[in-house]
Amino acid sequence: MRVIARLMIAAFLFAIPVWAHHSFAAEFDIKKPVKLEGTVTKMEWINPHAWIHIDVKGPDGKITSWMVEGGTPNILLRRGFTKQSLEVGTVVVVEGYQAKNGENRANGSNITFTDGKRLFLGGSNPNEQPQ
Amino acid sequence: MRNCVFLLLVAATLGAGQTPAAKPWTTPKTPWGDPDLQGVWPGTDLVGTPLQRDPSLGTRAVLTDQEFAQRVERSKKQADVDSQETVNEVTKCDPTRGGLGNTQTTCSNGVSIGPPLYWDDRGKPNRQASLVVDPPDGRIPPLTPEAQKAAADRAAPRRARPCARTAGGCHDSWEDESLWDRCITRGLLGSILPSTYNDGNQIVQAPGVVVLRNEMIHETRIIPLSSGGPIGSPHVSSAIRTWMGDSRGHWEGNTLVVETTNFNDRTQLNNATVSDAARVVERFTRTGENTLEYRVTIEDPKTWTKPWTIQFPLKRDAEYRLYEYACHEGNYYMYNALTGARAEEKRAQ
Repeated sequence: MRVIARLMIAAFLFAIPVWAHHSFAAEFDIKKPVKLEGTVTKMEWINPHAWIHIDVKGPDGKITSWMVEGGTPNILLRRGFTKQSLEVGTVVVVEGYQAKNGENRANGSNITFTDGKRLFLGGSNPNEQPQ
Repeated sequence: MRNCVFLLLVAATLGAGQTPAAKPWTTPKTPWGDPDLQGVWPGTDLVGTPLQRDPSLGTRAVLTDQEFAQRVERSKKQADVDSQETVNEVTKCDPTRGGLGNTQTTCSNGVSIGPPLYWDDRGKPNRQASLVVDPPDGRIPPLTPEAQKAAADRAAPRRARPCARTAGGCHDSWEDESLWDRCITRGLLGSILPSTYNDGNQIVQAPGVVVLRNEMIHETRIIPLSSGGPIGSPHVSSAIRTWMGDSRGHWEGNTLVVETTNFNDRTQLNNATVSDAARVVERFTRTGENTLEYRVTIEDPKTWTKPWTIQFPLKRDAEYRLYEYACHEGNYYMYNALTGARAEEKRAQ
C-alpha cells in the first residue's frame, strides 16, 4: 500500500459474528482492519450518517482520500456539534475497517485527534475556541 | 378484563410521577375544547429498556429494588465508557461488555465496529421490565402457523441463492435490503419505539385532526378525528394499502385513541410482515404536565396467535428539536453493500 494506512490483516479469524447492526457486515470487511491518520478535507453532514473526508499521506508523499463513517447528523447536532466543530485541516486518527468493495471508506469506533482525545466528546476538539 | 386490570396496575406502577400526586392532573384543553396533547415527546428515556421481558421474570412487570440497582449500575458503567476523553483501557473493545460490535473477532483486531457509540442516545434506568406489557409475560405471542409458512415461503427463494451462504448475506438487488436500510420506513411501531437515535415525536392538533410526527425516517401521520362515537371517521377503501396504514382517531375522555388499518402486504410491525387483517390501536394519555403515556395494541389474527400490547411513557422535552432525517440524501449504505457483494463475488471466482 502506498498510503500510510496500515492494513493489518488479522492472522486469525473467528466465526463470522452475527452483527447486531444490520449494515456493517454488508458494507465493511472485518478482515481489513485499518489505521489511518489524515487531514480533514470535508465533513458531509448528511443523512443517514455523516461522513468525514480525510487525506492520508503515504510514506512516498502520495495523498489518498478516505471517507470515514460518522453518526447521524441529528445526534451530532443534539450533542452540540456544528459545522464548525471539525474544521478542514484538523488531523484525525481512525481505527476501523475498510469497505468490502475495496474503496477507501472506513467504519470504526476509534476516531480521535492526534492527542488521543475522542472526536466530538464535549470540548475535545483542540481547534475549538472556548465559548 | 383481567388484562385491563393488569395494565392499570402496570400504568399505576410505572406512571408519570412515580410518587402519588398531591392533586389529580387536569388535562389542559385546546381552544376548541379537545384535550391538549401538543408538544414534542421524545422516547429517549426508554432507550435500552428491553422490548420483550427476560423470561426469568415471568409475569413480573416491575423490577425489584435489586434488579433496578443492577440496571443503574450498568448505566453508570456505560456512562463511564461514554465519557472517557481518550481511547483507553476503559473504552477498549471488550467482548464481555456486550453491545454493538464488541465481539471476539472485532476485539481481536483491537477495535470495535463504528461509528462511535458514545454519540448514541442513552436511556435512563427505570423499573419497567419490558416495553411489552401484555401478554402478561411481556413476550410477543408466537406467529400463527399461517404466518410462519408465509415467512418461510418468502425466505425460501433467497435461502436457495448462493449468496445466502456468504458472510455478508444476499445483496444482489436493492430489494435484498431491509425497508429501513432502503429508507422507506421503519413501520408504524418502529417509528415510535425508543431507539439509539431519532427518538423525537411531535403532536400538533387542529380542529378535527391530530398530526403525529416521528423523527425516524421523518414519518408524519395526519389523523382525522371522528366527531362522535368510536372510530366514526371511516377508513379509506380497503383497496388502498400503505406502509404506515390509514389512521383514524377519536377521544375517549382525555385519551386520544388512534386506529390504524389498511397496511400494505410488505410493511412490517416489529420485523414481521403483517397481513391485510392487521389493526393497530394506539392510546395517548397525558398523565402529567410532562408525561404522555403511550400504549399500543397490535392485532393481526393471521400473523400472531393473539394480540399484544406495548406501553411506555413519552416525556415532554421543550428543548428537543426534530430534525429532518432525509435518509436518502447520502445513503452510501446501498452503494457499499451492493458493490461490496459484487467485489466478494469477483474474489470468489
